[in-house]
Amino acid sequence: MPTDTTDIEIKKDTQPKGHAVVEMEHLKKSFGNNTVLRDINLIINEGENLVVLGQSGTGKSVLIKCIVGLIDIDEGKLIILGKNISELKNKELIELHKKIGFLFQSGALYDSMTVRENLEFPLRRQSDSHSKEKMDSLVKEALQNVGLSEAIDKTPSELSGGMRKRLGLARTLILKPAIMLYDEPTTGLDPITSKEISKLILEVQKQYNTTSVIITHDIECARLTANRIIVIKDGICAAEGTYDDLVKSSDAWIRSFFE
Amino acid sequence: METIKSQPSKNEKEAEEHSPEIFHETIADSIFKKFFLEVTSLTIFTLRFFKEVFKPPYEFNELMKQSFLIGYRSLPLVAITGFIIGLVLTIQSRPTLAKFGAESWLPAMVAVSIIREIGPVITALIFAGKVGSGIGAELASMNVTEQIDAMQVSDTNPFNYLVVTRVVSATLMLPVLVVFADAVGLLGSFVGVNLKGDVSFYFYFSQIFQSIEFKDLLPAFIKTFFFGFAIGLIGSYKGYNSNKGTVGVGKAANSAVVFASLMVFIIDMIAVQITSMFQN
Repeated sequence: MPTDTTDIEIKKDTQPKGHAVVEMEHLKKSFGNNTVLRDINLIINEGENLVVLGQSGTGKSVLIKCIVGLIDIDEGKLIILGKNISELKNKELIELHKKIGFLFQSGALYDSMTVRENLEFPLRRQSDSHSKEKMDSLVKEALQNVGLSEAIDKTPSELSGGMRKRLGLARTLILKPAIMLYDEPTTGLDPITSKEISKLILEVQKQYNTTSVIITHDIECARLTANRIIVIKDGICAAEGTYDDLVKSSDAWIRSFFE
Repeated sequence: METIKSQPSKNEKEAEEHSPEIFHETIADSIFKKFFLEVTSLTIFTLRFFKEVFKPPYEFNELMKQSFLIGYRSLPLVAITGFIIGLVLTIQSRPTLAKFGAESWLPAMVAVSIIREIGPVITALIFAGKVGSGIGAELASMNVTEQIDAMQVSDTNPFNYLVVTRVVSATLMLPVLVVFADAVGLLGSFVGVNLKGDVSFYFYFSQIFQSIEFKDLLPAFIKTFFFGFAIGLIGSYKGYNSNKGTVGVGKAANSAVVFASLMVFIIDMIAVQITSMFQN
């Protein structure tokens, strides 16, 4: 799925009807006296692109960090791929988290490694059994998918913001996760590069039938990628629906996101 | 007779709150609280290190890479410092020894000084400046740019991969660097002697080896492992637990050097006490 900046027409699947891969019931998370997530109830279906909107500091990133296991929940139930995480042992949790990919806001590329080494790192960690040839072909395929084949021997510092995001995406996708979490994938990028990233997100969904949760402030990205949108306010899901539903919301505060 | 104390006025309350005694007490409380919190946090970090160091997977490749970066890359700096220390110590000591007619003791005095104390301590301080701050800044910037979180979601234990390897490398590499610095320092001393004299290489070093005993070498060598451990651990602790933001990177690097240098002197003081206890 090479990217082409001139090809900006993006076609999106209709609402996928797969089974639930992530279920949240009365999820709560506080930091000291600050309750960030108060009562989150949410079901994310297989193959769905769910966009999470909300003002800064409302706990959108905390929500996806809870899913990937970077932050532990305080109360409530979190079921991922049919497994209640509070009932899992440490080893089972690690196995479960291997099925979840996370694209960090900054890309979180390893500065001391080349592009190739950045992609080889998760492969080596996941399994020692990959031969050199196999690893090489996986790395090349991942780079080709995000249109970065020529950058294989560069270091992250030599890449532009958009290229860093694409490399971060390639590094996450190389493990072929069942669930992809995107933390503000288009922040700090120009409109054309943002559209490229949005296109990549849709292509990932189509190619791997990945379930995605996309945190964004970029309404254009939300419009292009979302099968469903939720809006978080005061630690709860304040609104839910398709892009078209929310644009026409009777609530002025919800509508203000899209103006 | 019951006396009723009138309620203090707002101005009196403010004056009381800002009185020098209360102000000093508050600062002292805050400093002590901060100090004990820091010590507790560092102790937990150290215990975690000892728990993780024996736990697989063992990151040999990263350990070798760090040993190369920490050890090999520090050689030029350590060599230059060692050479200058040996040279300067010889030039400075010569007139005093000459005054007492003890110039022939110069090789022995310089050798004992360098091997027992100056070599290990100066090398450790240089090491703290270069390696301690480097580890602190590197881990802090990895923290800021979410690279540590990224490792965690890539099925990697970041503590094992980043902290354990760096602390073990620092612990193993500093003793090697100190031996190297001692050797170069004695070479510098030989050059210093020959600036105002004509002493053969063989004669100079045979004088040195006659004056050095096993009890000079062993304690000095052993304490360097502790220096290396402290520098690696403090650098890692400051970087790994740094505050987010670019200010946190600078703070981590700076406090790693200051705290590690202080620890070098404290460990040295304890080592000297223990050594003298056994020698007596």
